[in-house]
Amino acid sequence: MTNLLEFDNIHYAYPSCPESLSGVTFSIKKGAKVALVGPNGAGKTTLMLMCNGVLEPSKGRVLLDGEPLRYDSRSLREVRKKVGMVFQNSDTQLFAPTVYQDVAFGPLNLGMEPDEIEKVVSRALLEVGLAGFEKRPPHQLSGGEKKRAAIAGTLAMDPEVLVFDEPTSSLDPAGAADLMELLDELHAKGATIIISTHDVELAYLWADQIILVNKGTVIHAGTPEEVFTDPALVTSSNLRMPAVLEVYTELVSRQMVEKTQSPKSVLQLVSSLEQSSGKPKAYRAPGTITVCNVDTTGAEEIKAWVADNPGHKHGAMGTRAKDLAERESIALDFTYGVIDKGILRALVGECSVLLTPASMVPHVFRRVETYCRESGNSIAVVPMNTKTQSPAPGAMTKRGPTE
Amino acid sequence: MSFMEENLDYYAQSNALRDVNCYLKLALGLGAIFICIASPAPLAPLFIVITLSAITLVVAKIPVRVYVELLHIPVIFAFFSVIVILFLSGSGDTILTFTVANVPLTITTGSANLASLVLVRTFGGMCGLFFIALTTPMIEIFSVMHKLHFPPVMVDLSMLIYHFIFVFIAETIAIHNAQTIRHGYTSLKRSINSMAMLGAMLFIRGWKEAEDLIIAMDSRCYDGKLALPGQQNPPKPAAIASIAVYLGLCIAVAIMTSTIVPFR
Repeated sequence: MTNLLEFDNIHYAYPSCPESLSGVTFSIKKGAKVALVGPNGAGKTTLMLMCNGVLEPSKGRVLLDGEPLRYDSRSLREVRKKVGMVFQNSDTQLFAPTVYQDVAFGPLNLGMEPDEIEKVVSRALLEVGLAGFEKRPPHQLSGGEKKRAAIAGTLAMDPEVLVFDEPTSSLDPAGAADLMELLDELHAKGATIIISTHDVELAYLWADQIILVNKGTVIHAGTPEEVFTDPALVTSSNLRMPAVLEVYTELVSRQMVEKTQSPKSVLQLVSSLEQSSGKPKAYRAPGTITVCNVDTTGAEEIKAWVADNPGHKHGAMGTRAKDLAERESIALDFTYGVIDKGILRALVGECSVLLTPASMVPHVFRRVETYCRESGNSIAVVPMNTKTQSPAPGAMTKRGPTE
Repeated sequence: MSFMEENLDYYAQSNALRDVNCYLKLALGLGAIFICIASPAPLAPLFIVITLSAITLVVAKIPVRVYVELLHIPVIFAFFSVIVILFLSGSGDTILTFTVANVPLTITTGSANLASLVLVRTFGGMCGLFFIALTTPMIEIFSVMHKLHFPPVMVDLSMLIYHFIFVFIAETIAIHNAQTIRHGYTSLKRSINSMAMLGAMLFIRGWKEAEDLIIAMDSRCYDGKLALPGQQNPPKPAAIASIAVYLGLCIAVAIMTSTIVPFR
């Protein structure tokens, strides 16, 4: 994989201020999920504004696809087509009188034809789960809806890199979980995603590369495990350890679990606890996880399936799935961390059904398969119907036995 | 409901006539205003006041309370002007005459007729204006401006101004709350002081918002294009017919009652 975005010894000072970035160097690979983490005033927003050339470094270079950024207006257009930016405050981004006009703003300025714009806009709105909001004025939307509309405005330009400044800072926990799922969905479709945050739980769980910034320099760039298991790094940058890791460290120091790989989630923590607690486990046949692709399966069929299979826990990923569940009055048991919850339930012998958008179906199979391989448990993932395709046989190694 | 939800824009977005073609709504409102102004006698404007209010309240389903609250301000203004007109010397017989502080004041049939005409014309005109304001969202008016080939700069500016109205309202409410909870409005002196601070702060924040807006627009390749004509529902024949009938009726009333005056 190649470096998509590279920061090479960047210096920057706002007019008549001390330097806010002093020698920042890091690179981001194509298809990465990157979190810029750091305390308030560390220079995260300044860095983000450099990704698409809003700010020009006073020293150093920003490279996109190996090419140094040029700051004339024509080159900047190309850069901004490739690097989409979603701001922390959605209100500043949503300036047109209707959602449709706002999302159409980028494509219009890129010179697309009206019918093409219409196609692009409705696709972007569908992707973020705001289909039917075209005529609404942005100031009447809720916080979460505003954020989605702002994302749609960026998606409409079909960027390769999506940069989010504090994406979850103004959202409630459910809204934040929804948004992170949307980010995962976009990532599954091939986008490279960069977020800035000081939510350590979020960064630890979601990102696969952490760039720790403080006082205008990069303190460390590496995997979440590297960054968050190092107490010196964590405290020196005004952060805290994620709760799962903190519990794990305490358990290790009490020799209640063996020190192996740091757990990412409650699921991994529970399974390492189970493995090291010497008690013989009462054998219970694990439950199954049924996957349903809501983009191709009709609401009627899903409702019928749910009625035919009582005793299943219901989980939904993404807005479309959640909307469908609400419309069909299917009570949801999990709305965030859905796959992990499904696995946790399966381990205690309960079955669950996960409603997911098309792009996340392979992800469910992969995630469960990875878990099974690592833990030695076997949990079956069953497609609900033929419309929910499991990934091609070659793409997957052996799955657990089916019922 | 807070002010953020309950304003003209809210009703313009949510009334029962929201999806009717906006040219028709504009034709109805502007037509009514024109007939009010053109009518030489007060009966036609009075007819419009009653019928157009009924349309706004019953067909567009605007709450009576909101409508009365909106109308009472201009009507009170009109009422005071009418009192002045009453005492302007007019032609015709004297209805009433009296003296206030050695100034003789006289009401004649002429001035009374003129006063009543001005009152109902203003009233009718306001009904027409509020019909448009309460049923037609600004965004549709922008697209009409665009289609009528208003200068793009003007349309774009109006759209940004419209956006900033809500930014300003939200900021004002936030600052006002922050001041109120710290006793910023407990005495007249403090109120004036707080109000001044609020104004200054609004200016600074407005400026900052505008700078952020430029960054946001540039990030999405702003190239001087902002206005995009919205799609209009095509006018339904029944709607066209009923508006034509209504305006025709108003004109007929105006012509037939053009010689009828309240005071002879």
